[in-house]
Amino acid sequence: MSDIVQTNPVAAAVVPPSRFKRRVLRHKGLMIGSIIFAVIVLVALLAPFISPHDPYAQDLNNRLVPPVWYERGSWLNPFGTDNLGRDYLSRTLYGAQISLLIGISVMLISGTIGTALGLAAGYFGGRIDLVVTFIITTRLALPVVLVALAVVAMVGGTLFIVIAVLGLLKWDRFAVVMRSATQQVRSLDFVEAARASGASQLRIILREVLPNVMPHLIVVGTVEAASAILLEAALSFLGLGVQPPLPSWGLMISEAKNFMFFSFWLIAIPGAALALLVLSINMMGDGLRDVTAPDSRS
Amino acid sequence: MIFSSTRRVFGMILGVALAAGLAAPAEAQKRQNTIRFAYDQVPENVDPYFNNVRIGVIIAHQVWDTLIYRDPKTNEYKGQLATAWRWVDDKTLELDLRRGVKFHNGVEFSADDVVYTLNFVANPANRSTTQSNVNWIDRVEKIDAHKVRIITKRPFPAAIEYLAGPIVIHPAAYYEQAGPKGMNEKPVGSGPYRVVEHQIGRSITLQRNPDYFRDGPKPQPQIERIVIRFIPDRQTQVAEMLSGGLDFVMNIAPDQAQQMRAVPTLQIVSGGTMRIVFLNLATTERSPAPQLRDLRVRRAIAHSIDRQTMARQLVGEGSQVINAICFPTQFGCDASQAMVYDYNPAKARELLAEAGFPNGFELELHAYRERNQSEAMINYLRAIGIRATLRFGQYAAMREQIRAHRASMAHQTWGSFSINDVSASTPVYYKGLDDDISRDPKVIELLERGDSVTDPQQRIAAYREAHKIITEQAYSVPLYNLVTFYAAARDLEFKAYPDELPRFWEMRWK
Amino acid sequence: MFNYTLKRLALAALVALAVSALAFVLLRLSGDVAIAIAGEGARAEDINAVREQYGLDRPLVVQYFDWLGRTLQGDFGQSLYFRTPVFDLIVTKIQTTLILAVLSIGFALALSIPLGVMAAVWQNSWIDRLCLWIAVAGQALPNFFFALCLVMVFSIGLGWLPVSGADSWEHFVMPTVALGYYVTPPFMRLVRAGMIEVLGADYIRTARAKGLPASTVILRHGLRNALVPVVALTAVQLGFLLGGSIVIETVFALDGLGYLAYQAISQKDFPVIQAVLMLLSVGYVLLTLLADLVNAWLDPRIRVG
Repeated sequence: MSDIVQTNPVAAAVVPPSRFKRRVLRHKGLMIGSIIFAVIVLVALLAPFISPHDPYAQDLNNRLVPPVWYERGSWLNPFGTDNLGRDYLSRTLYGAQISLLIGISVMLISGTIGTALGLAAGYFGGRIDLVVTFIITTRLALPVVLVALAVVAMVGGTLFIVIAVLGLLKWDRFAVVMRSATQQVRSLDFVEAARASGASQLRIILREVLPNVMPHLIVVGTVEAASAILLEAALSFLGLGVQPPLPSWGLMISEAKNFMFFSFWLIAIPGAALALLVLSINMMGDGLRDVTAPDSRS
Repeated sequence: MIFSSTRRVFGMILGVALAAGLAAPAEAQKRQNTIRFAYDQVPENVDPYFNNVRIGVIIAHQVWDTLIYRDPKTNEYKGQLATAWRWVDDKTLELDLRRGVKFHNGVEFSADDVVYTLNFVANPANRSTTQSNVNWIDRVEKIDAHKVRIITKRPFPAAIEYLAGPIVIHPAAYYEQAGPKGMNEKPVGSGPYRVVEHQIGRSITLQRNPDYFRDGPKPQPQIERIVIRFIPDRQTQVAEMLSGGLDFVMNIAPDQAQQMRAVPTLQIVSGGTMRIVFLNLATTERSPAPQLRDLRVRRAIAHSIDRQTMARQLVGEGSQVINAICFPTQFGCDASQAMVYDYNPAKARELLAEAGFPNGFELELHAYRERNQSEAMINYLRAIGIRATLRFGQYAAMREQIRAHRASMAHQTWGSFSINDVSASTPVYYKGLDDDISRDPKVIELLERGDSVTDPQQRIAAYREAHKIITEQAYSVPLYNLVTFYAAARDLEFKAYPDELPRFWEMRWK
Repeated sequence: MFNYTLKRLALAALVALAVSALAFVLLRLSGDVAIAIAGEGARAEDINAVREQYGLDRPLVVQYFDWLGRTLQGDFGQSLYFRTPVFDLIVTKIQTTLILAVLSIGFALALSIPLGVMAAVWQNSWIDRLCLWIAVAGQALPNFFFALCLVMVFSIGLGWLPVSGADSWEHFVMPTVALGYYVTPPFMRLVRAGMIEVLGADYIRTARAKGLPASTVILRHGLRNALVPVVALTAVQLGFLLGGSIVIETVFALDGLGYLAYQAISQKDFPVIQAVLMLLSVGYVLLTLLADLVNAWLDPRIRVG
């Protein structure tokens, strides 16, 4: 309830495209975040071509080799090898795929659910709003980590299950923000005009309302993608995330924690990768919030 | 570069801290004659009959006594609460009981305690957790105040071994009144340590029992106090050891143990255990992976795994490759005629192709512990084209899947409850019981015979033949035994035994 | 105010009901309670017997209302694993979790209010950005990793703090930081936004014009008004913390509700999972209710709307 009443006083003013572009290019955080993110995406896409080794090929006689910048390291395995003698660089590169896949899929699933609910509630108001508000409040009352853990534990942790469970749980913020954004857009002139011209409700929502609340959607999307990636890591820590030998960064971190006090690099490499990914997504989100808000810091 | 310097910095911090007297807390414990021990699992109930976790067994042997004691060094049976025993016929065991033993509540030990405890736990209605430990007992009769007779349901030559293992004796009057629940809240036994505080789920504090009976097989305890804390995360336990917050932990991961050897305040001790590891394959008609019904596929799997390297690299010193599904010291664990499969991926691929799977196939591997070993096996299988997905969970969950015929491969481990007789291992998985996923009638018959004939030579012969068939048919891939790594404060004197049972009554501070 | 309170209460009750139903169905769909109760080594006929004995063969709706009825009477059932009443278990564990949650909120406030105020006062400068970074940077790490880093530095490296347990205040320092830090950003953003709004308001300009020192204006007049929404957020985040402490309790071996829940999940201890879920959800509903009422009381406009 409080959440819904209070979250995000949304500014509905729409920034003209030319000025928007300038703002984006001048926003340092946004640019840096986007570049890092783009690099990670590129790495994920190119992983099969740039990885020096098969990320699943193990060599038990060549375990825990330190990275090249250590005395015992070599260029054969630039990031060293893990506890099963697999090339750590290759696993890190492939790990980008899995972690991105988790972040983006969860964002898409939860974004679709949340946006649909939020748009409906904000646009139609009245009884529909009441029902949606009720659903959102109910969802907010469920502790995410606990429910996710319980369901994954019962059903079994696979990549698909983890994505599905997180996607079905994490739509609340989308719904909340979309609802209040839509409420403000709804009464604007062009929407009224469309309504007066006799356009269908669905058409108005998709053609007139949705594009105007898009910036908020993207901002929430970034936050949620980052949080999904971290949640997967937490599930992995409790042994209930993605299952090995899949190389997700979250799983690599939780497997490497056994070596944390002695071979810090094992946890530092996927940790740094994950931190970079989460930070870049957050920087993009914060940046987008800035450039789309009317009182922008430019 | 960043990482190497972080490590250097950390190494420096660690070095300085250790030199500057992180050893101090351990010194203090030494002066107070206390051992602080941590374990990752919480026993659901401290009453030894109502839990099936290792820490439960550990506590059981500190706080309670068994009738018979097996010397872990010589494997020789000695009298503990019993002083002598004899088979009256092949189903009746008569025991003379020790006099002058007192329970922690001051009550004198007598035949009534044995009769009540065993009759209570053997009654399935009382639902003691591990039925196979007690379900061989038909009834127990009192002959006089210090003599009892245990009557078994069928000839059961391994009875002595069970009486020396999981079967402890409770004080009858107290147990009758308090029940397993009261026993958990306020445990009373006769062992070298008594429980002075039990904060359920958090810690258990043991205090030396000053009235512990002399001239028994367990010596008088030296350490005054044992504080057992429950710390779920192994990493936290290691951090406690490094910072001097604990004096003793067990089950450290082998790699970590190796690295901890460098810490001057600690000693790392390892010992091979009786716990064996094997990969069990579902071959019955209801197997979720019909491919496994083909002997060539099973043999291919057996050839694909490099057991030797896994034992050496992943399990550590003290691990031996096994060739039958039992621990080599167990009576009847005769693998002399078992078929042995060498590591030969080329041959494995050939066999797979012969069986009609040149491109392999997909299936699931169920596992519940030693996840890195499951992962290694998955990678080995992947190398011959079999793509296995890991289903990792709690033991109970895995067992549920196996019994529901939903598990095609199970990464099993089995500790035989430290019982040094094959009746406690092989039959559990191949005698047609719930966990048997191959159900070969010939094997079932042989194990049945081995378990019930009394003549040792006939027993061995039956078991030997069973092991031969199991391995020829490749119903499972026998792997190796596990090793337990202990970390302890440098000045603590202790010894590691294959039964994974720390004996606090033997330990002392140097 | 009375009507408003009544309406909110009714809504809260309805939400609590919906959550309980949802939690019940979700758990039932994902695992078979009968198998869990029958325990290891149970055969098919044992499981069927359990199913009948516990009435698990009845329609789910009937089972739900039966469970709800008993829960409302304070009977949470027996733990399948510990074989003791669930209620007793929760009572012994909840204290640790509550202490941790309250301390963490306190830490989050103590960190986010100054950061938020500074960020607002020096809006859009490098200080603003720095404050945001302090609040956000560490969150890019999974919190178990962050917690273990704390252990590495403060327990192993410096030897200042004990690693695990709940025996003294020192035991709570690292868990508080590790948990509290993760709820800092929303507070910090809220304080910053509130302060920016308040600092632009007329009465602040008046106060400034009267020549009051800047610190007085900011702290006395500004902060007080900016903190109103923080109250509501505190309530909401407290609920979140109670559920989110699973990882932290596991790392620091704090024997609280979160760890109990984790254990219950691994052991398929349905009555315990259900009770904890219910408790956390209802706790959340009550806290938001409280926040709404406090807000309505502070700001009469809400009551009308």
